[in-house]
Parts: sequence; C-alpha cells; structure tokens
Amino acid sequence: MARPLGCLTGSALIAAGLASAAILAIAVATGNGVFSPGELSAARGTTRGGVASHAELGTRCDACHAPIWSGDRMADRCRACHTEVATEIATRSGLHGTIAGADDCRDCHTDHRGPNASLTVVDLARFPHDQMGFSLQAHSVSIASGATTCEACHPGSLSTFAVASCAACHQRLDATYLAAHEADFGTSCLACHDGLETYGKGFAHATFPLTGGHGGRACAACHHGATTLVALKDAPTACVTCHLSDDIHAGRLGTACADCHTPASWSGASLDHAATGFALTGGHASPTCDACHPAGRFAGTPTTCIGCHKADDAHNGSFGTDCGACHKATTWSDVTFDHAKSGFALTGAHATASCQQCHIGGVFTAIPTACVACHPRPASHTTGFSNTCQSCHTTRAWTPATFNGPHSFPMSHGGAGGVCSTCHPSTFAAWTCTACHSTASMAAQHSGVSGYSATGCIRCHPTGSGGD
Amino acid sequence: MSRYRDLVPALVAVVVATALYAGFLAAVGVPRAGSLLGHSLGIVGLTLMLATETLYSLRKRAMRRPWGSMRAWLRFHMATGIVGGWLVVLHAAGSFQGLAGWLAAMTVIVVGSGFIGRYIYTAVPRTADGVMVEAQVLQAQLLAVRAELSPLEAGRSASVAIGRADERAAQRRLGQLERQISALRWARRSLATWHTIHIPLGMVLFVTAFVHVAASVYYSTLLR
Repeated sequence: MARPLGCLTGSALIAAGLASAAILAIAVATGNGVFSPGELSAARGTTRGGVASHAELGTRCDACHAPIWSGDRMADRCRACHTEVATEIATRSGLHGTIAGADDCRDCHTDHRGPNASLTVVDLARFPHDQMGFSLQAHSVSIASGATTCEACHPGSLSTFAVASCAACHQRLDATYLAAHEADFGTSCLACHDGLETYGKGFAHATFPLTGGHGGRACAACHHGATTLVALKDAPTACVTCHLSDDIHAGRLGTACADCHTPASWSGASLDHAATGFALTGGHASPTCDACHPAGRFAGTPTTCIGCHKADDAHNGSFGTDCGACHKATTWSDVTFDHAKSGFALTGAHATASCQQCHIGGVFTAIPTACVACHPRPASHTTGFSNTCQSCHTTRAWTPATFNGPHSFPMSHGGAGGVCSTCHPSTFAAWTCTACHSTASMAAQHSGVSGYSATGCIRCHPTGSGGD
Repeated sequence: MSRYRDLVPALVAVVVATALYAGFLAAVGVPRAGSLLGHSLGIVGLTLMLATETLYSLRKRAMRRPWGSMRAWLRFHMATGIVGGWLVVLHAAGSFQGLAGWLAAMTVIVVGSGFIGRYIYTAVPRTADGVMVEAQVLQAQLLAVRAELSPLEAGRSASVAIGRADERAAQRRLGQLERQISALRWARRSLATWHTIHIPLGMVLFVTAFVHVAASVYYSTLLR
C-alpha cells in the first residue's frame, strides 16, 4: 500500500480537525472577533446605537457586518446609526449628499486600523474635492510638508474646515501681502476663493479687462470692502463710480467718460466733437480745447459764431450775429455773401464793383438802394428826368438806356425812331429842330409869320405837325 | 559553504522581493493587507506555500514514474517554503491581529520547522542521486568489512591475504560505517519526530489559511 500524502496522514488529519474545531470555538467565543483585522477606532462621538465609538462595539461584528442572510449591506448598517449622513444622502445635500451614494460609505471610510487611526481614508487624487466648492488644483503641494495632506486644511476633522489653516500657509508665502489682503477683504477666504487660480495670478479679469491705468492696481482699489464673491462680482464698472473725484469737468460733461477717455490715461482724450452737435471743421479743427473751453469749461459752451467771435467781428455788429450767413468755418475771408438777401442784388456792373465803392468806410448798414444815392445826376439830366434812373437805365450800363416817355413831343417825329440825339444832339435839356429843318429854309417858309423864331418852333408846332 | 548552496535561489528571491517591497514602502507607504499589493502578496505567498506542501510530497511518492531528482525537488520545496513564507509575512504588513496574526505566526513557525527538518535531513546518509541509504545496506557493508578484519584479530595469520595498507583502510571504513549507522539511527528517529510535528503544523497552517481566506472573502466581498 502506497504511503498517503503527508497532509492525509492520521496526525495531519487530526491536526486539521483540531485546528478547525479550535478556530470555530474561538470564533464563537469572540463573536467572530477572531477574524477582525485590527482594533476598532476609539474616537468618540455622538452616542448612537448605544455606543459612542466603534471600539465600544467590541465583538459585536454584526453591528456593522450584517449577516449575509439578513439582506442588509454594510452601508445599511452605517446609515442606520449615522442618520444625519443618511439624511444628507437622501436629500442630496451637504457633504455626503454631494459626493456619495447610499452604498459608497466604504469608498472613504474604514476601520480596524487601530484605536487612534482615522475613520476616513481619502485618496486625494480621486476625491472630488471640486464638488465641495473648493478645488485642490492649486493646492497639490503644501508649503509645509511637500504633498498636501487632508489634515493640512482639516486638522480636527475632515468634515470641518479651519479657515485659519489658509493663513497658516499663506502667511509663510507672503506675510505682507496676506496682511494687506486680509485688511482689504477680510479673513473669510472661501467666501471668494475656490481653490483654482481664479482670483490669483492667472485671473483674467475678463469681465473688466485690467488694461492701461487699471493694470497693477490693488484689488481693493476697485473692490472696496468686498468680502464675498457676490460683492466682488458686484464691483461697479462705470467710470464715475471710482473716478468721480478725478472728474476735472466737475460733472458738467455727464458720466460717459469712455466716450472720450480710454483706460490708458485721462489725457489724450479723443472726442468725436460732431457728437456734441458742433463738428470741428475748418478753422475750428486746429485750436486747442482751451480756445473754446477756457478753464476746462465744457458745459454751456456757446455754439453760435458770435458767442466766441464777437471780438473778431470786423463789422462791429453791423451785420448782426448771423456770421454763418456769409462766412465759412475755414477763415473769415472765406466769404460767400448772397447780396440779393440784402434786398439789393448785385447785378450788372454792380457785380464787379468793389464793396468799398458802395460801402464807403466799411459802412454796410443803412446803405441806400436808390440809384441817385450813389450815382449823381449827370449834366445831361439836369432837367426833365425824375430820380428813378431805372426807368431808363439798367445796372448793366448807363447806356444804352431805354426812354419811353412821357415825352411832350412825339418821339417818332421825322423818323427819329427813338434816337434821342436826332433832336437832342448835346443835352437832353435842350433840343434843336434845325438839324433837319434848316434855319434858312424855315426862315424862308416863315417869312410871313409874325414873331417867328428859329428856336421857338415848339410854340407853334407842339406836336411837330405842320398844321399846328 | 556547499551545504548552504541549496538556499541561494530562495535567498535571492527573498532579497528581490524585499527590495521591491522597500521601494513601495518608501514611495507610497506600508501596503495594507487589504490593498491590491497586500492581497497580491498574500495570494502569491499562499500559493507558494501550497506548492511547498504538496509538490515535494507528491514527488516523494511518485516512485514508479519519477520526474526530476529528489534533490532538485527538495531545493524547490525549500525555496517555495522560504519565499512563500516571507511573502505571507509581508502580506501581514506588521499587523498580527486575530486569526490573521496567528496565521502569520504559524507561517514563521512552519518555515522555521522546515529549516530544522532540512538539517536533520542532510544528516541522513545518501547515495549519489540523493536517495537515502538504507540501514540494511550499511549493515551489510559493515559485516563485510568486519569479515575482512576478523583474521587479523585472530592472530595476524591472514597477513598474507591482506596487507598493512589495506588493513588501515578497512579500519577507517569500519569506523565510518559505524558512525553512519549511528547517525542514521539518530537521523531516522529525529526525522520521524520532526515529521510528527512538522506535518500537523503544516496542516494547522493551511486550515488557518483557508479559514482566513474564507473570512476575508466573506467580510470584504460578500458583505459589502
């Protein structure tokens, strides 16, 4: 008969049986405590389930390890005692409601690691700390001990946070800055900071780009006294809310500073002057602002010419105040005057006459418009003509003139045809008949007429007819 | 030093495993028994211990179809026992609580017992291929030598049949055989006693190990 394997020998089988019996007995005696991999936590808390710590459970393994036939799972036993956690999970609120499901207790919590060991074991690399409202992205390394540990920020309990732990590290980074920062914004770090670089050196400040003079300024310069994220975000963005005291216009130009100024500097303002209703064209384009806005006075600046140019009025006010009627904005000499508007259109020879010919001594008002006011009656017109020169003359020239009467003697007499010089060879005040009717001939014909005179024809022939 | 040569592979494996463990210890920390590495150490350690327990024993009984020399299988037995035991100790991660603690202690005890057995085993006279020399063979050799020497003892009349040199060699061989027979008796008694202790200890170890494994599976898997 072959020898049996060593493990199947009588002594081996007896030993196996005794060992099994011993283990069973001890398991029964210890309530399965013999299978415990380590002592339970002695950390005391609120009394629940009749105990204040896991250690007080002793060998009541089934308090947490539900027998397989009970239908319970370990998480059921956890939540049965830790009712506040169960409530958080059920209502999806608080720490556990945010990150854990009903069966996830063992993902973060453990025991049997000794009376003083933590009941919470968190793998920082996997813990969704972001969901707590504070990312560990910028806190992967601790200034104190290399890798950041939970205890660095949660020295007492992982479920609580000591804000003082922020200052403990950040004071070592830059105590001066921290002191100023706390003075400006208070010590409730989490009210504004979320663990990202959101408000640190990488903050883009995109909603209000910090360009020009806004760059490099202390946060508190604009975020006065803000101690919460909401308050930070509510920082006003209108220029005047911060720069009211800088307003050299004393509010006269309103509050839309950005219409003229940029964040780069107050000086060098660029204004679309046309938007004010007064475009800077011609000679107005080059002067300095002070020329029109002395002493920085902008509001109420007149827009009429005379408002600024009264002293420049070469007409001494004689033309009124509507300078634009004649002058352009280019130069004073760039004049476009429609003389017709004065009631005296410059036609004919008047159009080429110099102003001074009529406006002697620069006098432009009360200039008479009658011809005779400027044109003295010529010697040829001493008698027999009224002062209405225009009855016969045009402005084109004195001659030719058109005379249509009244004329006491027929103007067509003897085929004169309106040629005045036929009868008036030298002056219109005198006439002669002898140019056609020779003196000798008339004398012969009137030899028998008493009182005949060669110059008195008109007395007997008022219409030039021979029968008169 | 040749007597320690059989332990070299096992010691090399232990050193390598310890170095890797120390590296993990420095980089991460103590791998708890319930962690991935901890469980791996335990599973590999138990497997090696099971191999230690069974394979050599099977080879010893496979006389009709032997595969490999007994010496080679003994080296394998010692190597897996030492390395497996060490991995089990590393699996415990310094925690010797309850049944798991006893199991670690039992492992150390059984491996220690194996060391003792190894030295008893080497005291047994063996043939060139490692098979134990049976007491009857030694006894026959002893009787033959004594027969060679008996004429001398009777009055040196047989000096013609045996020279002085041969006489001295026979005397040495006689003493050697007497010592071997004495050692064989001691070794066989000791080995029998050792087997009586070592095998039950091994059985207790494996029963404890199986209960430990079953409890771990039950508490950490079935009761989740």
